[in-house]
Order: sequence, then structure tokens, then C-alpha cells
Amino acid sequence: MFFRMLKGALFRQKSKMIMIAITIALGASLATAMLNIMLDVGDKMNQELKTYGANITVVPKESSVIDDLYEIEDGSTTKAFLKEEELGKIKTIFWAFNIVDFAPFSDTTAALSDGTAVKVVGSWFNHHLALPTGEELDAGVTSLRSWWEIKDGEWIDEQNSEGNSAMVGSVLAEKLGLSAGDTVTLSTDNGKETLKVVGIFDAGGDEDEQIFTTHDVAQKLSGTEGLLNSIEVSALTTPDNELAVKAAKEGPGSLTPKEYETWYCTAYVSSICYQIQEVITDSVAAPVRQVADSEGTILEKTQLLMILITILSLIGSALGISNLVTASVMERSNEIGLLKAIGARDYRITGIVLTEIIITAVFGGAAGYFMGYGFAQIIGQTVFSSSIEMKPMVIPIVAVLIVLVTLIGSIPAIRMMLRLRPAEVLHGR
Amino acid sequence: MSLLEIKNVSKIYGPLKALDNVSLKVENGEWVAIMGPSGSGKSTMMNIIGCMDKASTGEVLLDGVDIAKESDKKLTAIRRDKIGLIFQQFHLVNYLTAVENVMVSQYYHSMPDEKEALEALERVGLKDRAKHLPSQLSGGEQQRVCIARALINHPEIVLADEPTGNLDEDNENIVLDIFKQLHREGTTLIVVTHDPEVAEEAQRTVVLEHGRLVKEIINENFTD
Repeated sequence: MFFRMLKGALFRQKSKMIMIAITIALGASLATAMLNIMLDVGDKMNQELKTYGANITVVPKESSVIDDLYEIEDGSTTKAFLKEEELGKIKTIFWAFNIVDFAPFSDTTAALSDGTAVKVVGSWFNHHLALPTGEELDAGVTSLRSWWEIKDGEWIDEQNSEGNSAMVGSVLAEKLGLSAGDTVTLSTDNGKETLKVVGIFDAGGDEDEQIFTTHDVAQKLSGTEGLLNSIEVSALTTPDNELAVKAAKEGPGSLTPKEYETWYCTAYVSSICYQIQEVITDSVAAPVRQVADSEGTILEKTQLLMILITILSLIGSALGISNLVTASVMERSNEIGLLKAIGARDYRITGIVLTEIIITAVFGGAAGYFMGYGFAQIIGQTVFSSSIEMKPMVIPIVAVLIVLVTLIGSIPAIRMMLRLRPAEVLHGR
Repeated sequence: MSLLEIKNVSKIYGPLKALDNVSLKVENGEWVAIMGPSGSGKSTMMNIIGCMDKASTGEVLLDGVDIAKESDKKLTAIRRDKIGLIFQQFHLVNYLTAVENVMVSQYYHSMPDEKEALEALERVGLKDRAKHLPSQLSGGEQQRVCIARALINHPEIVLADEPTGNLDEDNENIVLDIFKQLHREGTTLIVVTHDPEVAEEAQRTVVLEHGRLVKEIINENFTD
């Protein structure tokens, strides 16, 4: 009889139940979308923030010490170098897959044909790497300095360029009257190189007065073949927590073996730096604190926003459910009064009404989950231009939240139902 | 011992005395009509006898048990086991069929038995309408479903509140015929009505005015 009553209530009161299911579906869809985005936003934000440049710089240990002592920001003043042959090892560390981009930098000062001294920086642009792991990667300045505005010409294309190419900073180009297609001759004690200007860029900083060229050209000019001044690394990182702060401040040696294991196996910027130092001889890898800290802060704030939206949507749902269920109970007060009059105990009436609502919630929640999947993909494509990965753990979380919200939303109706006296509704007393 | 004995019962709602020191005895198998104008306390009396409300003062003895002093839980059990209720507005569950409406009463009493429920509907002439929803039944048919539901658990006492109030003459006669049949079978009937023709069918009529029992009429012409 219980199932007959249930079936009758569900199928012969479709419109009411559909309204409740829609309310639950809306809450569930928002919760699903927000929870999935919240869980995926770390990677998405990281990828997004990678467009703002490297978050780790690797310099020779000696120059790092001298820089620290004399507070020199430009490492080129020292004569310590990193070995170019070790560059590929960066993609062999424990968190290799989190290294999304990296590039070596070599710089020197060269003289133009009129004797003007300019800083020449050599690096990769779209350098193709085929790693022993099978991974292939185009790394370099093109992606590490994606914010550069190309005022004239284009980026250096290492893979298809025919000869020595250069990109000239906008301030220097204006001073020298250079534009894309021109040539520029650079001389140092180590030789002379004629470069074709393929692009004029605006970086909005000191780089606007520099000439960027391919790494091998800069090495020839500086006479440092096989050596490099620094490496910039862009890595996907996990926001720092207390453990990461402790490791960064006091060093990994201060950690207990268990803490060390946790720290080493988490993509904290400090643990990635530590692992880079392990593979690059005599190097110091340091996070670019501004970028690393901003990433963590933005990520935390974004996740907080998602949690708040989820909570608010669930509160909205609970209020909606509360109104609808209360209205439904009021509408069914005669029926409930009658059931009490013919001997139904409160718990049996509550049981059947709650079962109706929970079944409706299950259908509404399931529909809401798939709607939420759609919302998440729309948000993912709109905001991050990529799809949101649906996390299986969201399903039980949403299920529990929906049941809780439905039960909480039903409390006022249940209270009203328990207070309802048959004589009042059946005889209008 | 009388099946029902009301002793000096009053029911007070704030400044209003809905029942004022009413006493009444109903014997087992008796058919009693309670008459009176609107506001005379008929429904209040039915609610108290039907264990849906409690007297403010006085005793209400049903089978010797003072129901005025029982807990809500106990009153629910008494309603379920001893009383069959018939309402003017029928109060059928609108999403259940006629037979399911009868079975609901069985479900909360003991075990639902569709065969028995169909027999109850047959008794009120509605077996062929068993699978119809209340909205597909006429007023008279709905009232007969209500009667079948009231009788399905073999109550000691059947309380009917204006059972013919919403019916036309033909359906009124059908319902009264069912009551006569029930009385012949020994069912105790208490029928609240403001219709003298319905009251005349009972063995005894008590008249309420302003919450007081003002008159008691024995129907000399009563025949089964």
C-alpha cells in the first residue's frame, strides 16, 4: 500500500513534483558546476597564469651568492654559468609533467655598426624538444613572453627560419630607425654577426631597449658556447601551505622524513625548485615570488568564490524546496488530516511525504547533475577556453548535499504537518 | 455498560463555550441522530466522540475508557481500532482510486487486503467503480466510498457528520438505506445532521442549541 500511495502521489501529482524536481535540479546543477570548476580551477588557473611568464628562475650558484651579497639583480655581471647540456634534465625531475615551458638565457653586450652598445639576449623562441620520455614540446620566449606586443613583423620561428634572426625592442628600434626586414650587425670581441630583424616588440620594460636573438647566436657573440646565464621555468604549482612555507624558510633538512616525503611529492614551487637544483649542477632555482604568491592568492580567492556560490545556490534551493513542500503540505492538509483521522501515526505520514520528496530529489538531482555538467563546460569554454574535467568525487558530494538540502528544506513543512490536527482541517475548527 | 457515555462535557474555545455541560449515553447497536442549527456544537461533539478533539471538562467514556484523559497517541489508536468516520465533504485521497481509498484505512489499521476492500465497495454498490479516481465519481459515489472506508475495519461505532449534506435526494436515499442495513447488522451509528428527514430515520434524536443538549426525541415510528 505504501508503494501504491507513493506511486499515486508521484504520478498523479506530476506538476507539483516536477516543480520540486526542477528546483532541486537547479540547485544540484549549480552545485555540480561550481564544485567541478572549483576542483578543476587549480589547473585551469595555473595554465592561465602561465601566460604571465615563468615562475621559477635558475641561475648559477656563484652568481646567486654574489647577487645576494651585492643586491645585484642582473646576474650577467658575474662570470658563472650553467651547462647547456644539462637543460634537458629539467624534464626528468619528479614533477616533469608540471614543467610546461622553460628556456635558457645568455646575454652579452655588443656594438652596433655605429658603435652604440646594446644588450643582446639569446634564448629559445619555439625550440622543439623531443624528450627521451617520448614527450614533445615547443619551448621558449614565444610562450614565456606571450604578453609581448608585436608592433611590426612576427616572432622568430626557429623551426623554419633560414638564417640569423633578431627581434628588437620597440624603444631601441625607434632610436635606430629599424623595422621588420632590416638587418642589424652586432660585433663583440668574439666576432661579428649580421641579423635579420623579423619583429619589433613592445614588452613595456627594460627589454624594449634590447635585442633578442636565438641562443646559439648570442653564445657565439659572448664566446660562451655550451654555457648559459640563466634558465626561466614555467611550472604548474600547488599553492603553498604551512609545510611548503616551512620547507622554503628553513630548508628541506628541517622536515621530518614523513613531512619531506609529502613536500617532495607535492608540486609546491619550493619542491620543484629543489628538484631542479638536484639535476642542474651548481645551480640555484628560486621562485619568482610575485608570480608564485599571486597564483596562490588568486587560486584561493577563486575557490572561495566558487564555494560561496555553491553555498548560496544550495541555500536558494533549500528555500525554494521549503516553499514548494510547505505549499504542497498546505494544499494536502485535508488528505493529511484524513490520514491522521483514520489512524495514521505522525511518523508514517512524515515517512511517506519525505519518501515522495526524496524520490523527487533523486530525479531532480540526477537531472541537475547533467545540467551542471553542461554549465561547467559552458563556463570552462567561456572563461578558460577549455573543457572542465568532471570529478567522480562530486557525485557523492552533490548527492549528500541534495539529500541534506531537501531534508532541511522540508523541515518547516514537516513541522506544519506534525502540528496539523485532523479536527481543524476536516471540520474547519 | 453503555458503549458511549458522555458526562457533563464542556468544550471551551477562548470566550466561546462550544459545548456546555452535555451528557449523553449511546448503547451498543443504537442509531442516534444529533441535530441542531449551525454553531450549536454538533461538529464539536462529533470531534470529541471521534477522538479528534478533547473535552475541556467532563468525561467521555468509550467502552468504559475515559478518552478525555488519553494521550494523542492513544487517541489515534482508538480512532483506528474503534471508530469509523464519514464526512460531509467525503475527504477521499484524490490521487488514489476508490479501492485504494478503502485500502488506506486497512493499511493504517492492520494489513491492506484488496479483495476485502472490493467486497466493501460491492456492499455500497460500487464494485464496478473500484478503479476510478474520486474526480471520476459523482458526489453520491464518493460518499459511498467514504462509507466503505469507514466500515472496512469493522468499527464499534460509526460517526457520520452531515453524510447527506452534499447529496441529491436519490443519493441521500441510497446512503440512508446503507445506514439502515448497518443498523440491522448491529453497528452503532451516530449521525450528525441538520436535516429533520435524516434525523427521523434514527431511533433517537438529541437536539443541541448553543452548546447545550436541549431536547431528546425517541422515534416512535422507527422500524428496521
